[in-house]
Amino acid sequence: MSVQSEISAPSARRLDSKALAKLSIRLGAFVAFGGILLYFALTARGFTSPYNLMTVVEQSAILGFLAFGMTIVFAGTGTDVQRGGIDLSMAANAGLCAAVYAIMMREGYGNALAIPVTLCTGMAIGLLNGIAVVTLQIIPLLGTLAVMNIAAGLELTLTENTVVPVKTPLTKVIAFGSFMGISTLAWCLIVVSALLVWLMHFHRIGLRLYAVGGHLEAARAAGINTGRYIYGAYIAAGLLAGITSILIISRLSSSTPGTGLMLLPILAAALLGTVFSRRFIPTIGGTLLATLFIGFLANGFQLLGISSYWVAGVQGALILLVVAVTSFAKRN
Amino acid sequence: MTAAIEMRGITKTFGPVKALTDATLMVKSGTIHGLVGANGAGKSTIIKVLAGIYARDSGTVMVQGKELGAITPAGIEAEGVHFIHQDRLLVPTSTVAEAIFLRNEPRFGPFINHREMYRRSAELLHQYFGLELDPRALISDLSTAQQKIVQITRALANDAKILVLDEPTAALVKKEVDNLFAVLRRLKADGLAIVFISHYMAEIEEICDVVTVLRNGTDVGVVTPSDVGIGQIVEMMTNRDTSEMYPRRKAAIGGPILSAKNLTVKNTFQNVSFDLHQGEILGVTGLLGSGDKELLQTLFGEIDSDGGEIILNNAPVRFRTPVQAVSNGIAKIPEDRRAHGVATGLSVGENISLASLDQVSAKGFVQLGSEARNVDALISELGIMTPDRQTLVKNLSGGNQQKVVVAKWLSCNSQVYLLDEPTVAVDVGAKVEIYNLMNRLATEGKALIFLSSDLEEITEMCDRILVIYRGELIGEYKHGEIDSDQLLAVASGATIEERKSL
Amino acid sequence: MSIKASAQNTKPRMPVSLETFSNYAIIAAFVIIFIAFSIIADGFLTGENMLNLVSNKVVLLAIVALGMTIVIGAGGIDLSVGVSIDLSSMVFIMLIAAGYAGAIGIIGGLAAACCVGIANAILINKLKINPFLATLGVLFIGQSIQRLSTQGGVPIYLTRSEFSATFEAIARSNFLGVPTPIVVMILCILVVYLALHRSVFGRYVAALGAQAEVARYSGIRVPFNLSIVFTACAMLSGITGILLSSTVRSYVPFSGDAFLLDAIGATFIGTAISAERRPSVIGTLIGVFLLAVMRNGLLLIGWNFFWQQVGIGVLVFCVLGLSFGLKKRSE
Repeated sequence: MSVQSEISAPSARRLDSKALAKLSIRLGAFVAFGGILLYFALTARGFTSPYNLMTVVEQSAILGFLAFGMTIVFAGTGTDVQRGGIDLSMAANAGLCAAVYAIMMREGYGNALAIPVTLCTGMAIGLLNGIAVVTLQIIPLLGTLAVMNIAAGLELTLTENTVVPVKTPLTKVIAFGSFMGISTLAWCLIVVSALLVWLMHFHRIGLRLYAVGGHLEAARAAGINTGRYIYGAYIAAGLLAGITSILIISRLSSSTPGTGLMLLPILAAALLGTVFSRRFIPTIGGTLLATLFIGFLANGFQLLGISSYWVAGVQGALILLVVAVTSFAKRN
Repeated sequence: MTAAIEMRGITKTFGPVKALTDATLMVKSGTIHGLVGANGAGKSTIIKVLAGIYARDSGTVMVQGKELGAITPAGIEAEGVHFIHQDRLLVPTSTVAEAIFLRNEPRFGPFINHREMYRRSAELLHQYFGLELDPRALISDLSTAQQKIVQITRALANDAKILVLDEPTAALVKKEVDNLFAVLRRLKADGLAIVFISHYMAEIEEICDVVTVLRNGTDVGVVTPSDVGIGQIVEMMTNRDTSEMYPRRKAAIGGPILSAKNLTVKNTFQNVSFDLHQGEILGVTGLLGSGDKELLQTLFGEIDSDGGEIILNNAPVRFRTPVQAVSNGIAKIPEDRRAHGVATGLSVGENISLASLDQVSAKGFVQLGSEARNVDALISELGIMTPDRQTLVKNLSGGNQQKVVVAKWLSCNSQVYLLDEPTVAVDVGAKVEIYNLMNRLATEGKALIFLSSDLEEITEMCDRILVIYRGELIGEYKHGEIDSDQLLAVASGATIEERKSL
Repeated sequence: MSIKASAQNTKPRMPVSLETFSNYAIIAAFVIIFIAFSIIADGFLTGENMLNLVSNKVVLLAIVALGMTIVIGAGGIDLSVGVSIDLSSMVFIMLIAAGYAGAIGIIGGLAAACCVGIANAILINKLKINPFLATLGVLFIGQSIQRLSTQGGVPIYLTRSEFSATFEAIARSNFLGVPTPIVVMILCILVVYLALHRSVFGRYVAALGAQAEVARYSGIRVPFNLSIVFTACAMLSGITGILLSSTVRSYVPFSGDAFLLDAIGATFIGTAISAERRPSVIGTLIGVFLLAVMRNGLLLIGWNFFWQQVGIGVLVFCVLGLSFGLKKRSE
């Protein structure tokens, strides 16, 4: 025999204050985003020129694609980065793919062969990540770390740490072409964003992927083949890295060492993006906004004459702020 | 009534351990079929075999007349068998609608039809539970009862023919349990077969048409609860005499060791005053939200008090953190043992000495010899069943894990023990062990505060009982002055006249 | 008849050999690799090579990895070790360049590292940010600090002879016949070993690493102990920074970044030798030596630097796969 209760729905009251807190944080994030853009628009000369805005969007394409890949991995493996998942190899993967493409073009293989091989390279690295995390059960932090070393090493052996120049009609189109007044890179960002938003948020694949990352046991009990989904997430991230590598080459007209340094901004974008989602989880839309924000922030600093050395620190402080605030909201 | 589930001769071994030996479970449609057994009897194993989580070694499984080969979670769901697990296996960041329709999402071409999903979720929730739950609400924002409802709704949305509920009432209050039972009866009338696994004998008696009893990995009987009564069922489970259920002790109560004077925590409880004596088992009970749990939390420093004082050993004390409480000799056996009581990844020895390392250390270094002696002594004293002190706690049974928690406090000579629902989710045999442990602690002169919502064990085991209602201490009874029915009435706020009429 | 026999209550174990093998996989791998290189690499097994290996490759990584071991043992992670290394290096070199004595420089460097540790502790304890994200944020901020302090990353070279005395004293002297850096490393190993495996603090760390909530409910002061953990890690990284600068007689910004991944790798490789996959000093040292031996051996058999990277990545991958994969199979 147990005891009755007259408190029937404490959750109703809890829901209100908690929901309010979450809403105000999201609102605050949007306001901050808008406020900072407004500030730049008012104080930084040339910020609002179409050319400048377009440049930022283009620059964001590369970071954005890679951050989307990280978002997909987060979605499928959980954002609690110590226990859940991460893909540390994304930036190195992009660097490797760029090297592959550049070398193939240099050796005269042509786009018809070079592009598929490049994309396959990206997916192969993703597959390796999947093997490490799913089959070998190595914790993602460690597994993708090892794969990152492999990818970075392979890139170095291919390029011998030099710049490999590439110039083909395709890269010219990507770098300089435009369609209906919007540059190719921007189009790439728009199209891929739309595609991924559909896949992750309006298709059952995305719903099930989020379930796998949200609660592995629950997803398994619902009959989802969790291993397949996690493999898929890493391979998709690898594919995105491959696609991005071609964009990188287009922008730089070459394959350059140092792509691996993008890892931190990628993490920043994917993590900051959570504040824009209702559930404070990584989303494509949130990541896109965060990527653009990071881009506009750096751009605004530049136009205002603030040293770019501050950028990294500001990104770090933002991450801390967002995390502290969202975890506070989630707890209460 | 057709046979919904027929499991015959199921055997499952894990290495040298025989979890199931030739076990049989036959469930008919249109019935609520209870499944009971002590921990380790094979209840969860046989269910996991059915769920496709374990592969059976031998035996046949037929669902609705169809024989099944190897079972997978997706496959068994396709056969119409849905499991409502004890650990609410729901994705915290998903919405109610998403949880209900996971893997069966309504579609609109290549898109998920969100609007349809929300509409049907609301419809189902209203139809079966009369509940106006927002389909867009996040699972993490729901109460335990609401999450269970979502789980069941998922099963119903997927045309479940057979529902298996594993400890469905564990975190529910009476009103929610009544609601659930009303739904189950309705589903039974609709022709579903329901398997109901529980430790709560009273509920088994109330809701189940027929009960299969498991013991030692095999079925020892199928009985009708209304015919045989709980006592008989428990005897079949444990093969022991149930009159030994609540061990008695000769109480030797000493002087007061802890007193609360007008203790208050804003919006939770106010002006609670009582004395706790050495050698005494003081029961505390109340409805969910009455403030009884928070009273214990305040005594342990998890919550800071807003008014009044705590007097320990004749000196006023104030605990702002558990650290302070512990250093003053207060111990707490927490309700969620695996989250707060023992570190399952550490060994038995490490857990036991965790709170008392200063006693077995010199200049900050642990003296392994003295530690080992202490630990071994406690293991044998409390009868903790473990191969050795290096065994990881996660390999121990629930009852033994609870003993490790007690041993931890014994080894630092705590004087006051706060026990928060120590026998929840513990099987009958282990419960008796815990009662014996409590008696022993009291006999040794410790002071115990025993919080429980199981009124029978409170009335049997305690020397005195405090009743909290809406944050006020409204009753204090000596052992024998009140029985569990009257206690329920008091805790529920019945007036004195109403109580007298019982 | 009360509780079931313990056999029923204890999780059944697979053949002992598989699980034990997974624990010894790393050690076996190390021995095999060592022997292999002894055979195929000229000059590998010479005293000079070994000494060089230890002095240059092992010492610095070992000290950082010890700090990482403490943090991972406590259930966290510290991505800012590179920042601690670099900031201590920066302050140390700047003080020396300004004419202060070596001792002042050392104190200044360690203090800088200490600040990083305290910053981490505040973010984790007061703002309740999880260690990965907190130290990630500090990593970002540390990059900015370095760029701002050095006009974008310009190294400070102090190769003039007026400074050499200090650097010699730290990096090139001998203490009882053993190079001073190695002595420092041995001291660090001893201290961390005693702290983690023999002291009360070490038990608290283990409890935090296993289940922090349980530690709190058992009366352990969680914020206090976490602060010590992160500060200790930062200090050890600080020591590394000073040794590093003394060896190269300069402060090169961002040189600490290279240590982060190897420190994490070494610590986790080390967890493979314990049945519960817990970090340990011995394990971490094995990990450090494994990485160092692999690099050295590959270099000696003529692989260029780039193929070394690949080789090490693949070897680490295989070793981890063997250890984690076998462990999973045995469950």
